[in-house]
Amino acid sequence: MDHDQAMYATKPTRRTVFMRTFLPWQMWRFAVINVKMIELIRRGHRGTKR
Amino acid sequence: MSRVVVLGAGIAGHTAVAYLRRWLGRDDTVTVISPRPDYNWVPSNIWVGVGLMKPDKVTFPLAPIYERKGIEFVQAAATQLHPEGDAQDSTPYVVAASDDGKVHRVPYDFLINATGPALRFDKTEGLGPEGHSLSVCLPDHAAEASRALDEEVERMKRGERRKFLVGVGHGTCTCEGAAFEYIVNLEFELRHRGVRDKADITWITNEYELGDFGMGGMQLKHGGYVTPSSIFNASLFAERGIDWITRAHVEKVEPDRVQYETLDGAKAEQEFDFAMLLPPFSGVGLTAVDAHGADITDKVFAPNGFMRVDADYSGKPYEEWKASDWPRTYQSPVYPNLFAAGIAFAPPHAISVPRKSPNGTVIAPAPPRTGMPSATIAKAVAASVTDMVRGGEGPTHTASMAEMGASCVASAGANPFTGTAAAMTVFPIVPDWDEYPETGRDIKRTFGEIGLAGHWIKILLHHMFLYKARLRPGWRLIPE
Repeated sequence: MDHDQAMYATKPTRRTVFMRTFLPWQMWRFAVINVKMIELIRRGHRGTKR
Repeated sequence: MSRVVVLGAGIAGHTAVAYLRRWLGRDDTVTVISPRPDYNWVPSNIWVGVGLMKPDKVTFPLAPIYERKGIEFVQAAATQLHPEGDAQDSTPYVVAASDDGKVHRVPYDFLINATGPALRFDKTEGLGPEGHSLSVCLPDHAAEASRALDEEVERMKRGERRKFLVGVGHGTCTCEGAAFEYIVNLEFELRHRGVRDKADITWITNEYELGDFGMGGMQLKHGGYVTPSSIFNASLFAERGIDWITRAHVEKVEPDRVQYETLDGAKAEQEFDFAMLLPPFSGVGLTAVDAHGADITDKVFAPNGFMRVDADYSGKPYEEWKASDWPRTYQSPVYPNLFAAGIAFAPPHAISVPRKSPNGTVIAPAPPRTGMPSATIAKAVAASVTDMVRGGEGPTHTASMAEMGASCVASAGANPFTGTAAAMTVFPIVPDWDEYPETGRDIKRTFGEIGLAGHWIKILLHHMFLYKARLRPGWRLIPE
């Protein structure tokens, strides 16, 4: 690993890494991300509706 | 009765065909011309490339589905358009050639060009499966990458240290997102197989900064700041011990190293034992002739082989382009019954800043238009063609990449409990600096986060989109 590249990069805290695979939190995020994506899809399909 | 012909059965072509068959009457014919017998859900090829899926999990034969739905299927590669017919008959037609040498002449009233890209491994010496690097662009390529990875893992288990190089193989490549997915999955898989400590992994890219992805990067609201995607990308690599080389044009791929030039004009090389490098794209090389047999390819197609549509191709300076330059209907400006969808249309300009090295080498990512935008464009084009078949005078539906967003879920490790993926959305895909002067995009609808939830979404999308592509009951309820 290039030391300079790693030195100046932002790194996640242990808590952030833990939350990435913490099941209750991820189940909530699954719902939130899906809602955000569905809203985005609907917006993008305005010109395609028949 | 009308004859609608679609060239290509990838994400855009297959989507267009499915909707045309649903919307048009039974008297109208829908014909697909595609050189490959199978549909390929390309976004999952990266999982084939790290050995987590077999090619048959990301492909299925098209012929039975088209037969069930009443869609004509010509397995051949389109070579030439005759939008004015010929001297004897003014009916437009397309010429296509099968592998067995048979030449097809297919007449049409409306034509949708969804031929996708040609994979231009030839643009860099030694690039690609015929040369010294691997690819995940096609299921076969991905399977070959998986076999090569298995061999590397065996060597590492015997104690050897191995060098992995992943990224793009030319200064004008696009689709950096797919290579990004591959490198983080590769790293995850090496950890999973217990050999990560024996691997040096390096990313090589034509992006000016990490996280550009050919879209000029993204600005994301995070922790009280509006932060560029380069920060998140660098963090992800640093956390995983992946080195990176940016602003690079790969000039030559040798059996054990690449020679590359960077934007400052410097030349360097990077050794590897395993290299997965994506190729640049161009149009598939379709030509066009008028009724008298004169070549009109330049009128219909841009120099890069992609089709001209209702975009602003005046070639104005990069600083002057606007979101409104991007196409909305994808209709040819020359022939009103000719449309393009997906990668086949010619973008009016780069989204990322075009840059050249002091030697004149272009080192800048081309704009992406794969996946979700491809399918959305195809649906809008199919709707316009349907209305025109029924007597409409012009296109009735639009799908500008400057007015639509995109969701992208980049897998970063496939495991139902320990895997993660970066779930990202951008709105709009093409920045609109008039509407959003500070960042070019709607900051509320542009976000990204890494987590297990993203991996679940990626799995869900894999199964949903394959179900949809098989045109099973209720397929149209699944959005593009």
